[in-house]
Amino acid sequence: MKPTLSSTAISITSVAAAIATGAASSAAVETETLLKSIRSRDEKVRCEAWQNAGAIGAPAVGPLAAMLVDADIEVARAARRAMETIVHHAGRPGAAAEAKAVETELVRLLNHDSPVIRRAAVWMLSEIGSDESVEPISALLGDAPVREDARCALQRIPGDKSVSALRSAMKTAPEDFKYAIAESLRKRGQNVSDYPTKKLAPTLPTQVKAAPSSNK
Amino acid sequence: MSRRRFIQTSAAALGGFTLLPSGVLAQAGRPGANERLVVAHIGVGGMGNVHLGNMLQFQREGKVRIAAVCDVDESRLRDAVKAAGTDVEPYRDYRYVLQRKDIDAVLIATPDHWHGVQTVHACESGKHVYVEKPSSVTIEEGNAMIASARANKVAVQVGAQGRTGKGAWQTCRAIRNGIVGRVRRVECWHYANPVDENPVPDSDPPAALNWEMWLGPLPWRPYNPRYCPGVFRWFLDSGGGQIRDRGAHQFSTILWCMNADQQTSFTVEAKGTPPTKGLWDCPVDMEVVYEFKNPDWTLVWGQPGNKTGKTEFGQTFIGDNGRLILEWEGAYRGAEPDAINFKLPPGGQEVYRTAEYEDFNMNHKADWFKSIREGHLRPAVDIEIAHRTATLCILGNISYILSRKLVWDGQNQRVVSDDQANRLLARPQRYPYVL
Repeated sequence: MKPTLSSTAISITSVAAAIATGAASSAAVETETLLKSIRSRDEKVRCEAWQNAGAIGAPAVGPLAAMLVDADIEVARAARRAMETIVHHAGRPGAAAEAKAVETELVRLLNHDSPVIRRAAVWMLSEIGSDESVEPISALLGDAPVREDARCALQRIPGDKSVSALRSAMKTAPEDFKYAIAESLRKRGQNVSDYPTKKLAPTLPTQVKAAPSSNK
Repeated sequence: MSRRRFIQTSAAALGGFTLLPSGVLAQAGRPGANERLVVAHIGVGGMGNVHLGNMLQFQREGKVRIAAVCDVDESRLRDAVKAAGTDVEPYRDYRYVLQRKDIDAVLIATPDHWHGVQTVHACESGKHVYVEKPSSVTIEEGNAMIASARANKVAVQVGAQGRTGKGAWQTCRAIRNGIVGRVRRVECWHYANPVDENPVPDSDPPAALNWEMWLGPLPWRPYNPRYCPGVFRWFLDSGGGQIRDRGAHQFSTILWCMNADQQTSFTVEAKGTPPTKGLWDCPVDMEVVYEFKNPDWTLVWGQPGNKTGKTEFGQTFIGDNGRLILEWEGAYRGAEPDAINFKLPPGGQEVYRTAEYEDFNMNHKADWFKSIREGHLRPAVDIEIAHRTATLCILGNISYILSRKLVWDGQNQRVVSDDQANRLLARPQRYPYVL
């Protein structure tokens, strides 16, 4: 029987679906292998694993993030280095789609219970985040353990949206935090007349005494 | 007559060091040419103690008065107070030092992540600065340091002593005058970065250390004994490893010898082997290749590299007609006999250096004093020169971190076509420890 147009279309769709499923399965296998290697008791295996994490990319971000608070400090460190490698790899020129995928996964982590994970995600987003990251990061300006990291990330992410977010925050932030936000706005070339810098104001006295004077 | 001889002769005719009437420079906070500088030390650990020892000698010679010492670690501060003697005020917070109108100059020997911020603050407070190398840990910091030094008309000397060192000077004049012909390649060798063989978890800081102030501009993280003292050197965030430590020395001397301070654009490609465990993240082994154009030459940072000399680190200048080695940075160790014995050819280019002290640390500070006294405010390793050197170190590490080649546009201070690399040229500082 001659193949019809519709049966050909169905075949193409089926093949595409199979390829996508295959790709997803492959990514899942690679991620699982990566995680297992990160958990290895052999430091060389861990090290090689995180160095090669870049190509695995976005699918590994969430599972790796969960390991940032592992009880084994070397596992936690290896997981962090794997995430950083993914971010650096995805941020290369010509990899916009990969960067977008990694960004999406990092943004998901901004709601995590652990401030360690939220903080790590914020700094990684400061390197590859786009306008899409600005609103979720801005929400952390009210999150005491990570608000300073969120401010720094908004200062670093280019574009008008991050500046607008900082400007909005000046209206709602606690008074003591407005000085820091004002600093970020000035770094972005904005005029801020209130909240002068406190960078030269000393705050930490010493208990150490000078040697007795030689003058009588 | 050489420039050095000219200056020596002129100074002798005018009765010593004075080249300008003292009243020209004397103003509030600015000593006249014949007045002692009032100095303060910020950071009195390893190198900080060396600087304190130097200043005590200058004080004995009547050239300075030490007014204050400062450290965030009170056990170090107590030791510094004992060493510095009477009438020296201790501080834990450097901003108290900067508030004092009677202090003319500060010597900054804090961990590298503090160099940029403290130098900018000191300049803005009208103080001359001697700051340890590397001058900065980001490109943004380096540019801010230059801008504040110029705007506030102060002399900022960076502690890369090669450019006032006898061995580097002899090598420089030999290289510039063709001892090996045209140099096409300079190769550095240096031993590896250490690995932490005994990683430990985070913990509470020692009672004497103010961790918040030690961190300063760095993003918050809990204390870990592997951050300090002294071992900040092995973090990309702070010390940046051997390339930013000794590289800041070696590259400074190399750029001087190659007369390449104005070659601010180049490509850089790094590869390295990370440590397999521990908190320290600088690569154990590393190779970084820099390519310069017009004139064309290649600089290689090798860790371990191709060791052609006898000592722990150094560089080989490879020219059309031979090779010349310089061990270390040309200050602590001497030049090769060929460079020492080199005679300038007719019409050759002399190279100037301050030569007031045999001790290279003292001499480098004497050069700084001279730039203040003479009013030009441009010591041998002026902050702009130091920034060119630090740029090589910083971009070497960024290339390693990103695992890719970078094209550096020195004119515009940007990486060509790499948004992520450009974001890494600055690291927003934790408030209030901001530039």
